[in-house]
Parts: sequence; structure tokens; C-alpha cells
Amino acid sequence: MAEEKLPSKTQVPASAESQKARQKKAPEFPILEKQNWLIHLHYIRKDYEACKAVIKEQLQETQGLCEYAIYVQALIFRLEGNIQESLELFQTCAILSPQCADNLKQVARSLFLLGKHKAATEVYNEAAKLNQKDWEICHNLGVCYIYLKQFNKAQDHLHSALQLNRHDLTYIMLGKIHLLEGDLHKAIEIYKKAVEFSPENTELLTTLGLLYLQLGVYQKAFEHLGNALTYDPTNYKAILAAGSMMQTHGDFDVALTKYRVVACAVPESPPLWNNIGMCFFGKKKYVAAISCLKRANYLAPFDWKILYNLGLVHLTMQQYASAFHFLSAAINFQPKLGELYMLLAVALTNLEDIENAKRAYAEAVRLDKYKMVEMAQKLGAALQVGEALVWTKPVKDPKSKHRTTSAGKPATLGSNQALGQAMSSAAAFRKLPSGAAGAQLQKPPSLPLEPEPTVEASPAEASGKMREK
Amino acid sequence: MAAASSSDSDSGRAESSEASSKWLDAHYDPMANIHTFSSCLALADLHGDGEYKLVVGDLGPGGQQPRLKVLKGPTMLTESPLPALPASAATFLMEQHEPRTPALALASGPCVYVYKNLRPYFKFSLPQLPPNPLEQDLWNQAKEDQIDPLTLKEMLEGIREKAEVPLSVQSLRFLQLELSEMEAFVNQHKSRAIKRQTVITTMTTLKKNLADEDAVSCLVLGTENKELLVLDPEAFTILAKMSLPSVPVFLEVSGQFDVEFRLTAACRNGNIYILRRDSKHPKYCIELSAQPVGLVRVHKILVVGSNQDSLHGFTHKGKKLWTVQMPAAILTMNLLEQRSRGLQAVMAALANGEVHIYRDKTLLNVIHTPDAVTSLCFGRYGREDNTLIMTTRGGGLIIKILKRTAVFVEGTGEVGPPLAQATKLSVPRKTRLYVDQTLREREAGIAMHRTFQTDLYLLRLRASRAYVQALESSLSPMSTTTREPLKLHAVVQGLGPTFKLTLHLQNTSTARPVLGLQVCFLYNEALYALPRAFFKVPLLVPGLSYPLETFVESLSRKGISDIIKVLVLREGQSAPLLSAHINMPVSEGLAAA
Repeated sequence: MAEEKLPSKTQVPASAESQKARQKKAPEFPILEKQNWLIHLHYIRKDYEACKAVIKEQLQETQGLCEYAIYVQALIFRLEGNIQESLELFQTCAILSPQCADNLKQVARSLFLLGKHKAATEVYNEAAKLNQKDWEICHNLGVCYIYLKQFNKAQDHLHSALQLNRHDLTYIMLGKIHLLEGDLHKAIEIYKKAVEFSPENTELLTTLGLLYLQLGVYQKAFEHLGNALTYDPTNYKAILAAGSMMQTHGDFDVALTKYRVVACAVPESPPLWNNIGMCFFGKKKYVAAISCLKRANYLAPFDWKILYNLGLVHLTMQQYASAFHFLSAAINFQPKLGELYMLLAVALTNLEDIENAKRAYAEAVRLDKYKMVEMAQKLGAALQVGEALVWTKPVKDPKSKHRTTSAGKPATLGSNQALGQAMSSAAAFRKLPSGAAGAQLQKPPSLPLEPEPTVEASPAEASGKMREK
Repeated sequence: MAAASSSDSDSGRAESSEASSKWLDAHYDPMANIHTFSSCLALADLHGDGEYKLVVGDLGPGGQQPRLKVLKGPTMLTESPLPALPASAATFLMEQHEPRTPALALASGPCVYVYKNLRPYFKFSLPQLPPNPLEQDLWNQAKEDQIDPLTLKEMLEGIREKAEVPLSVQSLRFLQLELSEMEAFVNQHKSRAIKRQTVITTMTTLKKNLADEDAVSCLVLGTENKELLVLDPEAFTILAKMSLPSVPVFLEVSGQFDVEFRLTAACRNGNIYILRRDSKHPKYCIELSAQPVGLVRVHKILVVGSNQDSLHGFTHKGKKLWTVQMPAAILTMNLLEQRSRGLQAVMAALANGEVHIYRDKTLLNVIHTPDAVTSLCFGRYGREDNTLIMTTRGGGLIIKILKRTAVFVEGTGEVGPPLAQATKLSVPRKTRLYVDQTLREREAGIAMHRTFQTDLYLLRLRASRAYVQALESSLSPMSTTTREPLKLHAVVQGLGPTFKLTLHLQNTSTARPVLGLQVCFLYNEALYALPRAFFKVPLLVPGLSYPLETFVESLSRKGISDIIKVLVLREGQSAPLLSAHINMPVSEGLAAA
């Protein structure tokens, strides 16, 4: 054996030389894939400049026949935002090797990014013919159908993707479909399965927690949010949600400490400053509350919840003229909420604009009859006590109490941008009954699920406090 | 041994400032000019003298001058040019004979170059791939001139559309040609047998039949052809061949070839495939949904770095165990094995110039480097057991030695609340003025509100009035009459004293052209002079914007500017269709003079 090899060992450099020589004589064809590995290594370590240089060299040598070089060039184009160019290159790849599902997948992906969802589904279907069992194709088809608003088809594809291989992303998309359809319970089912599959994914945990929060299942919500925070103590969505739950329990100091982490991570988050503002409000530091809320309002001038809270705090501060402005701005953005008109009516009453106050009350009744009746019952005691003079003040006070709690809530909702939209309308109303336990804000923490007794006590206590001011 | 440990403790005392660090800085050369990947680094006792050398398959700056470099300590021992870029370097024992010096294998293109004692010893070339039989037939026919180039082209295209076996380069090149070039191409190449050659993408070693550290090893090659080959260490014949669904990028092996082994291949499609001795095809598959940038096996756990800045742990059956997020992109990964303490950990070099060392998901240590590390390896170098060798993006070389007293302790990282919780909230402050205003509002809130409301109504009223007036007197630059829907806007160019005034007049009706319009300028003749204060407008085709230019000369030398009114009139009517007020700029030419 060894003898055989001896002559060959001298050949190593020699053969390399002779190879080169031959190349010059007759046009020997270079191996197309010669530097694919190098292109790939540069690509995955995100050294795109080096990658492009190798691609250029490779394409020159092979006269544009090296498919992988074109493929990676297209990927880089896409990363750089030149989606149209990337699409064209991927199409070239698909021509060079029509049997390859991967090229079609990338063509479809580029189409998807260009917003041509219909075309993308067609290409994905084409690719699915070449490769039946690809998780990615099924998943992406599902996502395309979501954008095309064909939720049933989307669900089918996502479920088949899950059968091929389970990925967190597929669960998230499925959950999103259910949320878009407004089916909270189904969404929760999906997220539960997802959390079972990957128990450490903080995004899944947070979303599940928020969904429970929306349903009013506080125990479970807190459990999941807490889990999310153990795995990632800086997850700001979870912190905001957990913080707002603490706020409803009156733990303002704990909530504020938690918010510090968020303030470091996302200092320009409107829901964060809104929640901080309402914490200060709960602690009766009204000036701080106003400055935080104003910052929130500066960051998100079109968010009616922040305007609502601002109106509320200004009412408490007896700055009725300012309160009127914030409330009327809020009503401009959200004209369908009875509570806003109630607050506005309170402000107008105090501004001695009885005519308009009446109209605001009438509007509130029209929008929200049930709540007005409820409110009137609660006010009964206070109303009987007072004479004409007392009348005007108590009215606004209890109202503001209710605001306080509900104010904390919208903040919660706002905290998760993704879910916020879907949740907001449902939650704003839902929260009020438990929110009516708002008296807790002033009282030491009590359970949120038994609002009635505390509510009875609250108006009197509240109005007393107001008069002190 | 005692001496060694005492000297070590001495140096520990001397460097008390660095006492907290677990590493000694042995060498740093920012100009070492080494550009390579972790797979092209190998540490071995190449001469059998107990002094371990570093073998670097260097790509050269810009991947232009591939070289084989051997370093001893901080100095370059030998340097020799390579015929092509090295994809991977490995050292392995070929046979049982004494002296037991390991051979060096360099994978490059379709070949593996084997060196012994740093001398070329053997060259292994990948076997040619079988060509497509149909394609072969076609070229044979072309050779005997039974087929003309056009038909050949059509047939080859048909094969490309459907065939499982891809075409050879020769055919692909032929398909690209223009009609005129085909004939010549066929004549030139028809006599040559068609070839399909693949290249090696990655390489590693696998123990043959013993688990000992100095046992004979086989080479395991991954090819561009989506195959894995195991080579015999002595005869360099192919012992086993396995196929993968994609091209392998990183390989990780465990076990022995003759007994039982497990091959893990991270592939270009973002999946990781796990194969076993008796399987020709992957047994388990991990779908990452991102590109793997490194693959390291720690005991029984596979640690994979993905290009989404995260590190994942998987069981050897492909079940996900944990995920850790990195602060920056991972550039390369390798295994850190401290035999004396039985520690195995993963080193991940990040784009932010840090090297993180993880055991499972706990961070053990962070090394800060002056430049981003692009390749690293850990092991015995020279006579020192625990040496870390890193090369940087700029071509630098860093050698660090792990202190013999160093113990990696878990949980030195973050436990408890995150740091940010200690920082105070920056609540915006309010001024005294604000408080005063608040008090004032409390006192006079009603009055403020009423005044504001009154003013607001007045403002609205005034705005509506102005609007109505503008509509009535056609003062707007938009004419809304159904007969002549027109739009006008004006641009003034120049610094003065001569300005160029361009009016853009557009007929916004859908179909009707407008004829018989006139433009008239009204201006203070003491201040401005226009060549023509009145002119006719040509026919306006719907949709087009007509630029009408005129010069304006500023006559005033006092830097006064005024308004020029532009009126668009219909012939025979006194009321203008539309009008525009142009605020002329101050003539800067005069002001300067």
C-alpha cells in the first residue's frame, strides 16, 4: 500500500499545476459549484460585502450559470430591500433548475413581500407539487390566505403545516386568525397548545396571558405573564400587562418599579407612560400623573385612552377647562363611548354650561343606557344626602372613580400593540363591572372579583376626599 | 508539575488587576494576516515532539491567495501556497505505526490533500458523478453528426425540465449559446466525454474502531452533491456513502465507524439532519426555520447557532431543549473542552466583538476582543493544555491561555431583577409657572372656557367668511366652474433683480379643451416691470400642465417686495376665472450691491 502511494505523493502539487496548464489550452469547464460553500459561509455570518465579491467572481467564471450564486445574490438583494430585483433573480434560478422547489419558494416569498399575495399563493401551490411535505410551504400558504382574508383556507394550510412539523410561528398565525375572527376561546386553545409545545417562548406566554386578561381570568393571566417574566425579565409587553394588573390591585409602587425596566427598554412607549401616569394618579401625585400622561399624549396624540385619562386627571385637579379640551379631543377619536360623554358632561356642569352638559348626558344615555342606570343606583345614596349645592360635585366624583379603574384597563390593552386592536373595544366595556371596584384604588388592596360591597362605600368616601381638595 | 503550578500562582498575583479574568493574554498580533473559518483551524502534534502546532488553511485577504500556514507559538513555522481555497482542515491518525504523528488533511475543491510531516503525501479526488444517460446519448449522436445543434438544444432542454440527474456544465453552457455559435461549440466539444464533478463543502473526522484519543480516524466528507462520504484512513476508499436532502455545511460526529456512530449535518436549507450507522438516509430532522451558523455537540446535546442571533439546544433525537438570545449576530462557534475539570462548553463569537461561553443555557464567561472574531478553536497548543486561538475579521491573531486556577462557575451572570430596575424613572418635571397656571385655571376656569369658546366661534366665523369671499371673487387658484375647470400655480425663480415667473396652468376637465383664455398681471409699476402685462393663453389640452414664463424686473433699490396678482380671464368677460397672489421675494442682487 505504502509503496503505491509514494509516487502519488509527489503528484499533489504537480497535478495541480498540470490542471491549470490544461485549462489554458482547451476551454475546460469550471465546476459550477466550486465556491458555493464559501458564498454560503459568508452569507450566514452576514458578511455581505465579501459574499458579493465571491458571487461576482463566481458568476464571471461560470458566465452566470452558477445557480447558488444567483440565489444568494437574490437573498442579499431582498435583505437590502430590493425586492423586485431579488424576484427577478429568483426567477432566473427557477429557470436554471425548474425541478427545485426551493427556488419557487423564494419567488413566492418575494411576491409575498411585494404584497402580491394572490400570485404568491399560486407559486407556492406550484412548489407544493414538487415538494409535498414541506412545512414552510404550508405555513406560508396559510399566511398568504390570511392576507387574502380567506380564513378557512388559511386554517387548513396552517393545520397541515402543524402536522408536518410543529413550529411556534404556525401557532401564532393560527391564533391570529382566531383573533381576527373574534373567537377568543379558540385562540386561547391554540396558544395553550403552543405553550405546551414550547414552554419557554415568552411571546406565546405573554399573548396567552393577555388573552386571559381580556377574558377576565386574572389568575391564569398572571400565571402566564409571570412565567414569561421568569424566562425573560425584560419582556416589556409582559411587564406592562402584569403592571396594569398590579395597578388594578392598588400595588402602585410595585408596578412602578416594574415599569422602570420597560422605561429603559422602550422609553418612547405611549402605553408605558400612560400606565405610569395612572400609577401616580393612584398614588395621588397628580402633577406627576399629568406630566407622564402628557408625555404619553405627545408620543401618541391620537390615542383616545390617553386623552381620556388626561381628562380624568384634570377633572380631579378641578381644571375643568383643560379637562374639557382633552375629553372633547377623545370624543373626536372615539365617538361611541358613553363614558366619555359622561365625563364631558361633568366637566361642562362645572363650567356652568348646563345646556351642553344636558346634551352630553343625553348622548351618554343614548349610547349606554344600562350603565347610566347602574350608575344612578350607585349614586342614589349620595344624591339623597346632598342638596342642590352638593349635587354638582358628587356627580362628577363617583364618575371619576369609575374612570380611574377603567383607565387602568385601557392601558393594559394598549400595551400589546398586536392584540390591542382586537381587544380594545371588547375590553373597554367588559372591564367596567370589575372596574367599578375602582374604589380599591383608594382603599387597601382587595379582591377584584367582588366589586359590589366596595362600590357602595366608594362614592361617599370619594366625594369627601374631593371636597378636601 | 509543582513548579508549574507555583509559577502560575505567581503570575496570578502579579496580574492582580486581571485577577477577575480567567484568561491570560498570551499573544495578540493585529497584523497576522490570517483570514479563515473555524473549520480550517486545527491543532496537532504534527512532528511527534509533544509540541502542538496550529494549522491554518488560510484563504488570504479577499480570498485571493490560499495558503497553508503552520504556526508554532506566536511564530510562523512554514507557509506554502495552495492550489485552491481550503474548505476545511483536519488532523487525524492514519495508521497504528509508530511514531504516531498525525496526518493533515485539507479539503479543497473536489480533492482532499493529505500531508504527512508537512509534506504532500496523497491526493484524494472525489469520483466523477455519473452523467445523465440521455444526455450522454445525445452527445454521442452529435459526435457522429447524426443530430443537428438545434435538435440537440431542444432535447437537452427537455432533459433539463424533467430529469432527476442534472446536466453537465458542457450542456448547460451549450444551452446558453446563440444559434450562430452552436455549430462551432459542438465541433469543439463533441469528442469530449461529458463530466460531472462535485466539490467538498465540509470535512470532519470519525474514530475508526476505538474511542481512544489517539485512535485511527476516518475522514468524513460532505459534498455539494448532497452526500456524505466516509473514507478509509489507509486506502482512501469510500467506506460508506449517505445522501442528504440538502447540501451539508457543518458536520458533527460521535461514536466509532465500526461500532456505532451518529452523524449530524447542518444543511443549507436550514435543517439539521441526524444519521446513524445503519441508515442511508436521515433518521431525524430538526427544522430551524433559519440558517445554522454553527453546530457543536456538548456531551449528548447538540448546540446550534442560528443566524437569527440565537443559540438552541437539541437532544440527539432532535427535540428542542432550550433557546438563548444573543446580543449580536453569531459569527462562528466551537467547542471548549477543559479536560482537567471535565468541562465542555460552547464558545460563540459574536459580531459585537465578544466571545460568549455557554454551558447549556447558562453564560459562563464573556471575552472582549478588539475586533470581531471570525474563527476560533480551543485545545492544546505548544505545551499548554487550555489555549484559545482566535482570528479576527481584520486578519488578526489572538492567543489566550486559560488560567490553571480558573473555574467556570455557573450563575455568575444575571439572577434576580434586571439592572434596569434600579434606574429611576425620568418623570418630566413641572415648573412653578405650571403650578401657577393650574391655580389660575381653578379660580377662573369658567371664564377661561367661555372666552376660549367665544374666540373659537369667532375664528370659525372668520374662516368661513374668508372662504366664501374667496369663492365669490374667484380668488382661489382653482376654478370650479363646470365650463372651465382650471388649476394654476406659480413659481418664482432667481435672486433678482430679474426674476423668472412661471405660471403652470392646467385644464383639469376630462375631455374638453379650453380656448380663448387670457392672462393678466396686476402689479405696482413703481416696483416691477414686466415685458408684457397681458397675453393670450394657447389652447389648453385636458390634463397637461402648461408652463407660461415671463420675466419680472425689480425696479426698487430699497429691498422692497410686493404682491403681483395674476388673473386668468375669459375673452369678453370682466370677472376673472381665477386669480393668484404671488409674494415676490426681496431682490437679493440689489441688496448685495
